[in-house]
Amino acid sequence: MSSLYYPLNLLLCIVLIDFCLCFQKYEKVYHEQLNSGNITQKAQFEYAWCLVRSKYSADIRKGLILLEELFHTDKEESKRDYLYYLAIGNARIKEYNKALQYVRGFLQIEPGNHQVHDLEVVIKRRMEKEGLVGVALTGGIVLGIGAVVGLAFALAKKH
Amino acid sequence: MSGADFKVVLLGTEAVGKTSLMKRYVQDRFHPRPHINTIGAAFASKSVSSRGRQFVMGIWDTAGSERYYAMSQLYYRDAKAAVVCFDLSERVTFDRAKQWIIELRNHEEDCKIYLCGTKKDVIEDGTKARAISHEKVLQFSKGIGAVYIETSSKTGESVVELFQLIADNCELPSAKGKEESVKLQLSKKSETCCSAS
Ligand SMILES: Nc1nc2c(ncn2[C@@H]2O[C@H](COP(=O)(O)OP(=O)(O)OP(=O)(O)O)[C@@H](O)[C@H]2O)c(=O)[nH]1
Ligand SMILES: [Mg+2]
Repeated sequence: MSSLYYPLNLLLCIVLIDFCLCFQKYEKVYHEQLNSGNITQKAQFEYAWCLVRSKYSADIRKGLILLEELFHTDKEESKRDYLYYLAIGNARIKEYNKALQYVRGFLQIEPGNHQVHDLEVVIKRRMEKEGLVGVALTGGIVLGIGAVVGLAFALAKKH
Repeated sequence: MSGADFKVVLLGTEAVGKTSLMKRYVQDRFHPRPHINTIGAAFASKSVSSRGRQFVMGIWDTAGSERYYAMSQLYYRDAKAAVVCFDLSERVTFDRAKQWIIELRNHEEDCKIYLCGTKKDVIEDGTKARAISHEKVLQFSKGIGAVYIETSSKTGESVVELFQLIADNCELPSAKGKEESVKLQLSKKSETCCSAS
């Protein structure tokens, strides 16, 4: 029997989770901790994981800020998870160049990661569909190198 | 394209072989390689035919690492079948599988449970010893009304059989309900800025 090609479904796997449910669950915890002045990385990650699923780009952007903060402060072995959701979140708000930078930063460290390769395929297809490929190339070069090298460096320390 | 008629979720400790199982089934491939933790979850769908019906099975491959434990309930929500995996050579993964099963029983009454002992090839070629006897696991699964199956994603043994069994046992929503669920999917889809199609 034919199978739908796996990568096509990857970004969907984000939006298929019921946003309202996860929002109820994690926003409260996060805000309670915020008020008490002691936010755990767990609560911050769970809240951000939820925010990148929102249909509103303002929520997604908020999630991205939380993820970036985690990326810079949490331990090395957690960074791959943050990078992945940074890529997804950026792709969802159509910041494709940024999304690809995160993807490439990730793949520099874990070249064999199929999940992230698939994500790259999805993002590129999106860009093609939206006629953005040419823009991506130049944008990628201008913006890309510094950011990717920085990420790669941050991740390389762990290996 | 997102519209799967039937949701199956894969659960279990990290490294028991959930991603390998899904890849073997959906793509009929196995890449021997060091373990790479799934991030969050991955999703794949496959069209299946069973008992004269043709439908799309959506498979959620969840991450086993503890980081995602809190989110797992959101991943298995509304699943009609769960494949709870454990590594035949690792006792702790079986104990963990039991916990998943209790959780599923508490939260998803309608979810059929398939207990899956993975990496059978490793036991058969003598690389590792079985951690729990086949009889014990079988007895346990009978007790909870679950199906028990042992698979190898490396050789492919019993993988198609497992998913075919899931398909054969599944009850699809009635034709009318199905139409509605498709509509729902579509309207949901147009709401989100991100449906990959
Ligand atoms: N010999 C053998 N190895 C297997 C089999 N299934 C999986 N493996 C290996 O076991 C390791 C873990 O497999 P994965 O499929 O990534 O495990 P997982 O359950 O998805 O892990 P998480 O994503 O972290 O939850 C990999 O190195 C696989 O190659 C199998 O049937 N036989
Ligand atoms: Mg996996």
